Amino acid sequence: MAAAAPTSRGHGLLGYGPTALALALFIWFLGFLPVVSAGQAASWAVPWIPVLGIDLAFRIDGLSLTFALLISGIGTLVLLYANSYLTGDPQFDRFVLFLTSFMLAMLGLVLADDLIVLFVFWELTTITSYLLIGYGHDSEKSRRNALQALFLTGAGALAFLAGAILLGEAAGTYRISEVLAQGKAIQDHPHFTAILILVFLGALTKSAQVPFHFWLPNAMAAPTPVSAFLHSATMVKAGVYLLARLHPAMSGGDLWLYTLTILGVVTAVFASLLALRQTDLKQALAYTTLMALGTLVMLLGQDSGYAMTAFATFLIVHSLYKAALFLVVGNLDAATGTRETDALGGLGRVLPMTALAAALAGMSMAGLPPFLGFIGKELTYAGMLQVASFPVILSIMALLANGLILAVASVVAIRPFWSARQPKTPVKNAIPWTMAAGPVVLAVLGTIFGIMPGLLQNTLVAPTVLSLTGDIAETKQLKLWAGVNLPLFLSLATFVLGGLFYAWHATLRARLAMLDRLPNLDEAWDRFMASIKTFAIALTSRIQTGRMTDYMAVTFSTIAIGLIATVLLRGLPPLSPSFADVTPIHLALIGLLLSGTFMATITRKRIAAIAALGVVGIGVALVFIFFSAPDVAITQLLVEVLVVVLVAIVMLQLPRLRDYPNRFRPGHAVIAAGVGGSVTLVLLAILSTPLDRRLTTFFETASWPEAFGRNIVNVILVDFRALDTFGEVAVVVVAAIASIALLRQNRKGRS
Amino acid sequence: MSWVLVLPLTIPFVTAIFAFLFREQSAGRWISVAGSAALVAASLVLLVQTIDAGVLAAQMGSWAAPFGVTLVADLLSAAMAVITAIIALAVSVYALADIDADAERAGYHALFNVLIAGVMGAFLTGDLFNLYVWFEVMLIASFGLLILGGKPEQIDGGVKYVALNLISTILFLTGIGLLYGMTGTLNMADLAGAVESADPGLLSVVAVAFMVAFGVKAALFPLFFWLPASYHTPHFAVSAVFAGLLTKVGVYALIRMFTLVFDHDIGFTHEILLWIAGLTMAIGVLGAAAQNDIRKILSFHIVSQIGYMVLGLALMTPLALVGAVFYLIHHIIVKANLFLIAGVADRIAGDTDLSRIGGLYKSAPFLAVLFFIPAFSLAGFPPLSGFWAKFIVVKAALDVQGWVIAAVALVVGLLTIYSMTKIWAEAFWTPHPDGVDPSLATLAPATRNALVLPVAGLALMTVVIGLVPGGFMSFAETAANQLLVPDAYISTVLEARVE
Amino acid sequence: MEALLAITIGILVAAAVYLMLSGHMMRFIFGLVLISNAANLTIFTAGRLTPGAPPLIPLGFDGPAGDVANALPQALVLTAIVIGFGLFAFAVTLVWRAWVALGTIEADDMRIAEPKEDSQ
Repeated sequence: MAAAAPTSRGHGLLGYGPTALALALFIWFLGFLPVVSAGQAASWAVPWIPVLGIDLAFRIDGLSLTFALLISGIGTLVLLYANSYLTGDPQFDRFVLFLTSFMLAMLGLVLADDLIVLFVFWELTTITSYLLIGYGHDSEKSRRNALQALFLTGAGALAFLAGAILLGEAAGTYRISEVLAQGKAIQDHPHFTAILILVFLGALTKSAQVPFHFWLPNAMAAPTPVSAFLHSATMVKAGVYLLARLHPAMSGGDLWLYTLTILGVVTAVFASLLALRQTDLKQALAYTTLMALGTLVMLLGQDSGYAMTAFATFLIVHSLYKAALFLVVGNLDAATGTRETDALGGLGRVLPMTALAAALAGMSMAGLPPFLGFIGKELTYAGMLQVASFPVILSIMALLANGLILAVASVVAIRPFWSARQPKTPVKNAIPWTMAAGPVVLAVLGTIFGIMPGLLQNTLVAPTVLSLTGDIAETKQLKLWAGVNLPLFLSLATFVLGGLFYAWHATLRARLAMLDRLPNLDEAWDRFMASIKTFAIALTSRIQTGRMTDYMAVTFSTIAIGLIATVLLRGLPPLSPSFADVTPIHLALIGLLLSGTFMATITRKRIAAIAALGVVGIGVALVFIFFSAPDVAITQLLVEVLVVVLVAIVMLQLPRLRDYPNRFRPGHAVIAAGVGGSVTLVLLAILSTPLDRRLTTFFETASWPEAFGRNIVNVILVDFRALDTFGEVAVVVVAAIASIALLRQNRKGRS
Repeated sequence: MSWVLVLPLTIPFVTAIFAFLFREQSAGRWISVAGSAALVAASLVLLVQTIDAGVLAAQMGSWAAPFGVTLVADLLSAAMAVITAIIALAVSVYALADIDADAERAGYHALFNVLIAGVMGAFLTGDLFNLYVWFEVMLIASFGLLILGGKPEQIDGGVKYVALNLISTILFLTGIGLLYGMTGTLNMADLAGAVESADPGLLSVVAVAFMVAFGVKAALFPLFFWLPASYHTPHFAVSAVFAGLLTKVGVYALIRMFTLVFDHDIGFTHEILLWIAGLTMAIGVLGAAAQNDIRKILSFHIVSQIGYMVLGLALMTPLALVGAVFYLIHHIIVKANLFLIAGVADRIAGDTDLSRIGGLYKSAPFLAVLFFIPAFSLAGFPPLSGFWAKFIVVKAALDVQGWVIAAVALVVGLLTIYSMTKIWAEAFWTPHPDGVDPSLATLAPATRNALVLPVAGLALMTVVIGLVPGGFMSFAETAANQLLVPDAYISTVLEARVE
Repeated sequence: MEALLAITIGILVAAAVYLMLSGHMMRFIFGLVLISNAANLTIFTAGRLTPGAPPLIPLGFDGPAGDVANALPQALVLTAIVIGFGLFAFAVTLVWRAWVALGTIEADDMRIAEPKEDSQ
């Protein structure tokens, strides 16, 4: 991935600047520890969109602060790391922009106290994630995986948006703290089930729970610092965060309990099996991340103090060790150029700091004492044993998953460094301190917190439990030694099982290949995307056919159907057509008009067509003359002459009409009759009602005294409605310009 | 007072005349730019005064309404005037680099300014027949612009465009005749009162005739065929101004008539609009998914997005109309901009067919940013303008328990992401198939500025609307209230002092 | 006579629509001529018909002597005729241009902007 050997300087200020920003944020958030650990929360709000009742509201409580510290703290280390990791990369400026933007968006997400503001940041993390996964944009695979993550989490986000809108509607506010203050009252709302399902769709896609899990391993196409930060420690936990945030108001029901428990367990077990299946270390870590997310989701399904304490603890544990291990893998990759487990070995002495970090983080991940991972695992078991239903099955599942994870931890964190049976991998690049610092700091923190869990107990864990349950007393003690109890036996069983899994992991991996035969959602995804396109093309080629007769037929049909259907559905006033005043001259006139029309319609001779059009034009002019419109008649005649001349000139340049058959087209005749018939019908209905002539009455009285004209039609044109006439002149002038432009063009289109 | 309403019409006409006189010289194009700048100023004055007064009306020729022709601006009209002027300015600057001397000699700048005049007239007139006249002014100018250059595909697209739009126009004219026959008046404010004594069934039939006529203009399903048949063929500047403004005049006319005049039978007319809106959104976005050329993709997206605006009208709640107004403003800016960007991509990468271009992300990062903003705004990502537009419409649908239509709106949003990322991935991320590195640096500085400045300006507006939507939303709310309760509109028009 | 004219208009419209659907651009033009006439007649008829009384004000009068024909629709039709002619002239030129540039007069053979391979 790296374009050049990593140096500690990297890109200089471009790298240090954002690192310093992240560090400053981290320190600033540390300042909230006293407030938050006292069970209080800090909040700000300024109006943003008053029309919609959306405020830029932020709130720091235990849950937010825990996340904020993880985001800014890990962010600091990852930014420091990335600066060296991407030494010499020409697109580092963009990279660091995206990564910093992501960090800020993620902070906004966890601090937002307004559902819509939260959503805004949620989508900002989606976009930055898209850009970061597609960072290696020259590769087809990167682009595909970036789109997959965007599309899948984007789809979930849209569901979440609908859920947020409905939740805001149901609670009467978008302010999250106010929604939560109403307690479980929201569960009585008729839309609650819909809201819950929509929120689940958003949260579970973002946090990659089965069956939406497959985008996450693919997201590893991003550079390793990105994977460590977004797709392990922070962004994928946004879904978990959302569930935790809404836990006080929305948990407790069966839908909540069973959905989260079942999906969480299935994800955890499935992912830990697949983790062992991988040979690429980064992929293995990706699946263990899935396992952790499943565990967190499962814990959130519950209500007990143990589960909540376990959630708070495991959240921190996982972020620390997983980010560290990703960075370790990044170091292996940078140093040797490979991440394949079987190619790596003997690196303990060559990369001592990385090896140290790997060992500490790996043991935390494996859940060994005295690391924080051990405490997290004990609490998880305790939480599992407290669940309302099937505690035994769940505990066995958790045991299986934990055992597998222990084996994976050994494969990732121990074997490349210390295994005697592995070949010694040649090292091409040295690892600068900036890339060792991240994993070491994170791994050491996991150790310190394990030895001294009191550091976390009241500062972050208890306030987080308060956020989740509303009762700080629900918090359980974080202890390395919790006495001889069932969780302890489960822990011991985990070590044994994990040891066995590790010992046989090569065999197991081969056996796990059968998992590949399961329906592969990732491939189904490609088929799904292809089918969207196929469907779109099939549909569009039927609608936008490229044939103008189709377009015209549909347009005229729409007119006919629209008018006739409305007549049928809405009714017309009674028609009272009167033919009493019809004289023979009228009949002759209409006969003339209609014969011209008929001729124009059926003729196959150019001359006849021109003559027919002329006849119709004269007929219309005669109508105007008969019914007192001499000016209109004169204009009509003039224009008609021009029309006929124009048609004649053009027709002479075109092939003969008779070369084109004019067979009777029944379908078109029906459409034509529909349009014509409905026009007649509506006109007859209108003619059956009286006309309000007040405009004309005004023109008749004002024409001479006020506008000084005796021809009322002319006065209307040049005075009362002069603006129409102005526009009319413009149309004629522009028509001339446009037509001349057409005439001047030669065959190739040049003028 | 009346000059504020007259100026936005006069300026483009005067500009057109002078631009035509100087069409052989470079002065012609600068006249066009200056005229557009003056138009921005004039329409901003109009907007300010309208905000002040609520509704402005001016009786042309000093004939009191409903006897003469009234020009009128409520907040919606004034906002549309400002946006039109802004697009005019952006496109006339862009045209400095996009329009060749042949097209200029054939009268490009005159046609363009007459088009703008027609659009302005349509937004500002208070008279139905006068609206028809402005539609025709706009239409004939668009005909001319569409075929400038005379490439075979332009002629081909032009035939379909002309034929289908003429049908719409004639239906509109017939509808005016029918409505006059029923009510005896043409002034829209006067019509609002006059239709109350009309037969409701008959009125619904006439309303449907108008719906179809405007539906063609607005490119609603199943009347949109002319748009994807032609919008990818003319000069980029032309397709940008078409994409931004023309269909929106149709939408505006629908909103105006179906809030002011045809609100007697909402359970019927607006229910039809609701179905049409849903189908328009869905069919349009699927059409886009089937395309492989940037401008063709964008063309189908116009159709799709029109559906959202009409959905706002169809729901006819205060919030839904806020959504429709906000969507109009957002979409004009974003869509015109995307077409302009397609032109820049074409210029430096050599094509708009996605299989023939690439590499823009690597070697033209600034253009990538400028594309990313409107593209993701169109796809409805926060915090860009399109998100709020979509948000309001979806919320309005959910508020009235329109689950299905809300779901359609959301899924269409997802498919919009599909198309926008397709352009992003293939034109920007994928390396250029010919191995070249398309860059803005290859353009002459003057050309580059003319192409990039308007794009950057419009992108900035998208960001600003997205980040501080509060003011725009309050504005849209007031505008929507004026539409929903048009008492002020009616009384101002009918009582406006004759000067 | 109004009723008879309403029926005539319907027939004109039907013939025009039928012609426009033919796919032959010249027949489309015929249809356009017919339908424009029909639209003008619609406005004229909707304004009601008055035989033998043009809307004029005789010398020495302030208004028309007696009931005269409705002047407003006449004015509208005049405007519409002229505008219609402008559009018509362009349309005819375009048809000719299409014949020159595309070599066909049949609308369905005009497939350059939307080539056949696009719709498969």
